[in-house]
Amino acid sequence: MASMRNLILMAAVLAVLLIVPPFLGLGWQNALVNILIASLFALAFNLLSGQAGLLSFGHAAYFGMGAFATLHLMLAVEDGLGFPTPLLPLAGALAGLVVGLVAGYFSTMRSGVYFALVTLAFAELFHSLTPHLQGLFGGESGISSMRMPWQGIIFGSVLEVYYLTLGWVMLSILVLWAYTRTPFGRLTLAIRDNEQRVRFLGYNAHTAKMVIFAISAMFTGVAGALQAISNETANYALFGSQISAQVVLQTFVGGATIFFGPVVGAVSFTLFAYLVSDLTRSWLFYQGLIFVLVMLYAPAGIGGVVQHHMRSLRRADWTGLAKPYALAALGALLVGSAVIYLTETVAVLFGEEYSVNLRNAAGAYPGYHLFGLSWSPVSPLTWLVPLVLAGVGAVLLFKVRGTIAAKWEAMGRPETESTKAPDAAKLKGGAA
Amino acid sequence: MSTLHSQTGFALQLTDVTKSFGEISVMKGVNLAIKAGERHAVIGPNGAGKSTLFNLISGMFPVTSGDIALNGRSIVGLPPYQINRSGLARSFQITNIFPRLSVFENLRIGVLARHNVRFGLFQPVSRMRRINDEARAILAEVGLDARAADMAGDLTYSEQRALEIGMTLTTGADVILLDEPTAGMSREETAQAVELIRSVTEGKTLLMVEHDMSVVFSLCDRVSVLVYGNILATDTPKAISENREVQEAYLGEETAS
Ligand SMILES: Nc1ncnc2c1ncn2[C@@H]1O[C@H](COP(=O)(O)OP(=O)(O)OP(=O)(O)O)[C@@H](O)[C@H]1O
Ligand SMILES: [Mg+2]
Repeated sequence: MASMRNLILMAAVLAVLLIVPPFLGLGWQNALVNILIASLFALAFNLLSGQAGLLSFGHAAYFGMGAFATLHLMLAVEDGLGFPTPLLPLAGALAGLVVGLVAGYFSTMRSGVYFALVTLAFAELFHSLTPHLQGLFGGESGISSMRMPWQGIIFGSVLEVYYLTLGWVMLSILVLWAYTRTPFGRLTLAIRDNEQRVRFLGYNAHTAKMVIFAISAMFTGVAGALQAISNETANYALFGSQISAQVVLQTFVGGATIFFGPVVGAVSFTLFAYLVSDLTRSWLFYQGLIFVLVMLYAPAGIGGVVQHHMRSLRRADWTGLAKPYALAALGALLVGSAVIYLTETVAVLFGEEYSVNLRNAAGAYPGYHLFGLSWSPVSPLTWLVPLVLAGVGAVLLFKVRGTIAAKWEAMGRPETESTKAPDAAKLKGGAA
Repeated sequence: MSTLHSQTGFALQLTDVTKSFGEISVMKGVNLAIKAGERHAVIGPNGAGKSTLFNLISGMFPVTSGDIALNGRSIVGLPPYQINRSGLARSFQITNIFPRLSVFENLRIGVLARHNVRFGLFQPVSRMRRINDEARAILAEVGLDARAADMAGDLTYSEQRALEIGMTLTTGADVILLDEPTAGMSREETAQAVELIRSVTEGKTLLMVEHDMSVVFSLCDRVSVLVYGNILATDTPKAISENREVQEAYLGEETAS
């Protein structure tokens, strides 16, 4: 059964998350903390955007509020307040909930684009206001505090912070998952599908949307709190539009229609940033490119693709698919390397260093180094090779795409859809 | 038969209801009284304002002037959800369901509302026996048992129409408004739909928009003719079909066939 398989999978992931980190270096431990926080942020965001269909462009607001509220509580603990350190995220939850209720009340008066714009406006409001509020948000430099020991736990090491984060993130995920099974969780999906109809079935849709908004903001606040605990500092940049945009990107690349989709996106993007940002300055460009490609060719996100394959594990004609999949991988590799080569070349040629070389070379175009090799910008080969690679790869991808689609078509649709009621499937058997 | 308690004996009473969209006056002083427990049809040419009438009664649009009373209490100015909680449910001319939810779930949403667990957050819905049983009963009533787990958007047109009727029943309203429930159906499907509507509105008050006179004849106690924002006549189907004024204004050849 699928649910049994999922349970085993989740238990395995949890076991790895519990056992492996002590054996990792500081860099990876830190990266894992960030991955966990990003995952919770994306899941909380998706409660509103994916499940209720209300796309927020301003979720940084609740993340930031969670962080600042937690830092204030930490400062109070420093001053002697007897609040247990492991429970600090409650401050973030409360701040997210309260601010979410107010912002949600107003923004959910509208739907669609207008809703998105109001959420954006709220975040921008905080972003522009907070640097001037010295007392609450510490001006431009923000506020800092220190984690205080509690019951013999020092909370000094990254590993301790990691386990605290893990606990809170797992608890939150569990609650968010349970939420989808409750009447209100089902109403959330109904509102996404057809808000108008919900009104004529006796529901106050505005109140419902406001509560959904507040719950989403509450868990976003927990994520912000965990970041504050980890960094021991926060400033007004947390309210910035990049943070709001990042969670949108992660959620949709991961798959907004699947419960764990946002986690997939958050993990991929955070890992990508961790691994690639040291290698190239163009990593944000690649990240944007990945987003565009996923939206164009796999609108259900990476999670959607994974789910599609998992659901067809037994039915699918894997031997028939193996060849076209291998060809597609080859095509993607060719196009990918050409794009990376060209991007990096452009970055070099229009970079500061090269412009200095150019001036010194007085008219000639000096060569440059990339991937451990020397290249000449005026040699036709420098441009021809990647273009041919990209061309061959593109043709390959284009051709094989049709083959793959036809093969899946021939196998029919997967048995169940992601949006199906989990217990409706049981019903079929139960009713008989 | 009916369990209605109203001082007037009318389930629904419209008094001098007008509605304008900007300059255009769509409802020009409609007076209509629907008796508790009757099945009442509204007929009229395209664009006469039949759907607008339903939108006014169900609170989708505010009235420009006039009064609408449900079981003797004015519902003017109330939002749709409160009108629904006061005991009125409606279907839509254009199918209005939750396309990406299962058929069962489409029905359960309304049942949950009826049992006041609208914002239930502390118990899984799968454990709510009574609610699931009730949703299943309505599922059986509208003949969609076999489709329970399918996505509503995947149903055939006539199945979606049946679901639409089912959804209007879920909140337990005793005044049911159906807007062209048989439109676009084959003769056979129409006959089925008529039987369905007859059985599910047993003991309730029904107000329906219907173009098909044979449906009106077999189902309804009385008919009102709406022509460009005015009620031309209200009477039994037989009397209406013989009414000269109605024939001229609307029915024309249709009555002959
Ligand atoms: N929201 C609106 N804004 C402006 N005009 C509207 C609106 N809704 C309806 N109308 C107009 O009101 C008139 C009556 O429309 P309505 O849909 O009520 O007719 P109907 O009798 O239901 O017609 P049909 O048989 O085609 O369903 C039409 O002229 C229509 O254009
Ligand atoms: Mg109409």
